[in-house]
Amino acid sequence: MIAIAQVTPVWYLVLASVVFAIGAVGLLVRRNPLVMFMCVELMLNAVTLTFVTFSRMLNDVNGQTVVVFVLVVAAAEVVVGLGIIVALLRKQPSATADDLTVLKG
Amino acid sequence: MFAFLLQSVASTFDRPAIDLHALAPEFVLTGALVVVLLVDLFTPKGSRGIVPSVAGIGILAAMVPVLTLALDGADRSMFGGAYVVDNFSLVLQAMFLLAAYVVVLLSTNYVAEGDYAEGEYYFLLLCALLGMLVMASSRDLITMFVALELLSIPAYMLAGWRKRDRRGNEAGVKYYLMGVFASAVMLYGMSLLYGISGSTLFSDIALAVARGNGLGDTTPLITLGVVFVLIGFAFKVSAVPFHTWAPDTYEGAPTPVTAFLAVSSKAAGFVALLQLILIAFIGRDDVVGPLMWVLAALTMTVGNLIALRQTNIVRMLAYSGVAQAGFMLAPLAVVGSNSDGARSAVVTYLLIYAAMNLGAFAVVLIVARKTRSAEIASWGGLFEYAPGLTVLMTVFLFSLAGIPPLGGWLAKFVVFRALLSPDLTAGGVILAVVVGVNSVIALYYYANVARQMWMNPVPDGDRTPVRIPFSLAAAVTLSVVLTVAFGVSDLATHLGDLATFLPA
Amino acid sequence: MSDFLRDYLTVGIFGLTGVALVGLLLGLGSLLRPTRPQPQKYINYESGVDPVGTGWGQSNVRYYIFALLFVMFDVEAVFIFPFATRVDAYGWFGLIEMGIFIVVLALGLLYAWKKKVLRWV
Repeated sequence: MIAIAQVTPVWYLVLASVVFAIGAVGLLVRRNPLVMFMCVELMLNAVTLTFVTFSRMLNDVNGQTVVVFVLVVAAAEVVVGLGIIVALLRKQPSATADDLTVLKG
Repeated sequence: MFAFLLQSVASTFDRPAIDLHALAPEFVLTGALVVVLLVDLFTPKGSRGIVPSVAGIGILAAMVPVLTLALDGADRSMFGGAYVVDNFSLVLQAMFLLAAYVVVLLSTNYVAEGDYAEGEYYFLLLCALLGMLVMASSRDLITMFVALELLSIPAYMLAGWRKRDRRGNEAGVKYYLMGVFASAVMLYGMSLLYGISGSTLFSDIALAVARGNGLGDTTPLITLGVVFVLIGFAFKVSAVPFHTWAPDTYEGAPTPVTAFLAVSSKAAGFVALLQLILIAFIGRDDVVGPLMWVLAALTMTVGNLIALRQTNIVRMLAYSGVAQAGFMLAPLAVVGSNSDGARSAVVTYLLIYAAMNLGAFAVVLIVARKTRSAEIASWGGLFEYAPGLTVLMTVFLFSLAGIPPLGGWLAKFVVFRALLSPDLTAGGVILAVVVGVNSVIALYYYANVARQMWMNPVPDGDRTPVRIPFSLAAAVTLSVVLTVAFGVSDLATHLGDLATFLPA
Repeated sequence: MSDFLRDYLTVGIFGLTGVALVGLLLGLGSLLRPTRPQPQKYINYESGVDPVGTGWGQSNVRYYIFALLFVMFDVEAVFIFPFATRVDAYGWFGLIEMGIFIVVLALGLLYAWKKKVLRWV
């Protein structure tokens, strides 16, 4: 049988950092507000994975508590964010982040 | 603060001791929130004006327990140290409440006269205020995160409040996307800090971060965690290069909300930075110091240079706010050698900044009621038909520029004092020079508005006097009294010195 | 072989059996049935209705507020489950705390109701 390394918690940490990076890069590269918003969710999921892994490694329940709070806050952000984005898309049905140029930073 | 409840699941449940007096400001404000919501739901549509009064009374009522706690004087710590009432939290809570009260005064006419949902506006304002109160007391990652989101999520909605206006939508979307990105970065930093220290309490993190062991050699991990968390809050205080949302959001949002974001929300970011840097990361000033040095120098320079070119007064105030944030970040760069001085300087600056900036926004609101424009050119000849307002605006502008004997001068002075004492360091001296140069640059664009008001002719020749509604007059009076009082007395520095943390 | 790998072997065998079963049935069917291709048969199946427009047509967002409300209240329940597992240990203290929590949630529902977003349009 092929020797397969045992999956250690570090693997999860690495996975989480990769997912976080994908989300961060996606947010900076993609131009559709909805897709950018999904990238943020990806980043938050990476965070929860990190918390759970550390919680498991340290045998401490606090990390899992944080995850519950992150979940709820993420849901609140989804609801508010969708509201804001729908308000924008009603005005400009095909808006991308590049079209947001009425106000120039 | 609920972490304690869930943590006990594994063992037998010990009922946490809840100090009702310590939590009274938050409870009173929560009660006010509920009343605002119910009043809005159960009063007939036409009866406007009730909700802002209820909100204002609620904020003042929440001030009462803050004052009784201050008179009582005892430091209180709850939930295993996650939630603390100390001098620092009381001074800042009082500031948040007062600033929010002024924002309610600024909003009353603006919201009532426009096509806006009134009940929800004040409900969300109070929600954000509640988050700020919790922020001032939080000494734990979970509590701080919940407080941050409690103040940010309503702010996203308020920023996009003009939902039938393209600029309003744009302001909301930009603020939202940058805000959630920042909180995700900050959370990732928090997760690393938790992994290193095995605890979410600031006092435990301080031990682990300074010691630097834990799960093997974790120094790079600690640095990464510290930097990520600080960057998350750098977005909140609109430090360069994380400031890009600020001018657009400030211009697109309703002006009272802009005042709220520029003063209260920014102050909440600084409160979090102070708590993190001075309690949790105190052992790692080798990471925090240089980061804050670079952020401070960049923030004030870039903010000032862009402010020079603005023609819209709200955008100019936005960039001036960015520059002011740079001045407030400066003392944090020398936190390693002068941590007490840095804390005192930032708190003093925050108090003075709140007074003068709210005052400036109040005058902008009053003038915009007549001119219907936010262009600086439309301010021409203000002295000819509104001499009182012109004098007041000049006071606020010169205070922002740092001219004695107004409050802003004292604010700059405490920053210099923190940078140059107890002994001169190369970093401190260079940063002090940067602060000095920037103060001179800033004088130019503040004086430009003053010149416009005093010397230029009225653009459209309309010299009818400006009508000032009562609530706006009250807001301006409160701001100008505080701005002058902070300058001529040592009230602000005294409060700054007083705002100490509960020793861990 | 470790227990870890043995577990995955079971999963693997199960998966292979599933694939083989589907392949066998489809293979038998193709051997037995007559083959007469017509363009009508290649239209996407839309419950008996001929599809109109492209797959990127926009649909009515009539239900989007229901979805948002559902997401919000659904996720808030995550606080109630850990509480429910230990309700006896928390005693009256826990019941009162959870009561306050649920009352606050109910206020949100009351708001949605009064603003007439719960009405089926």
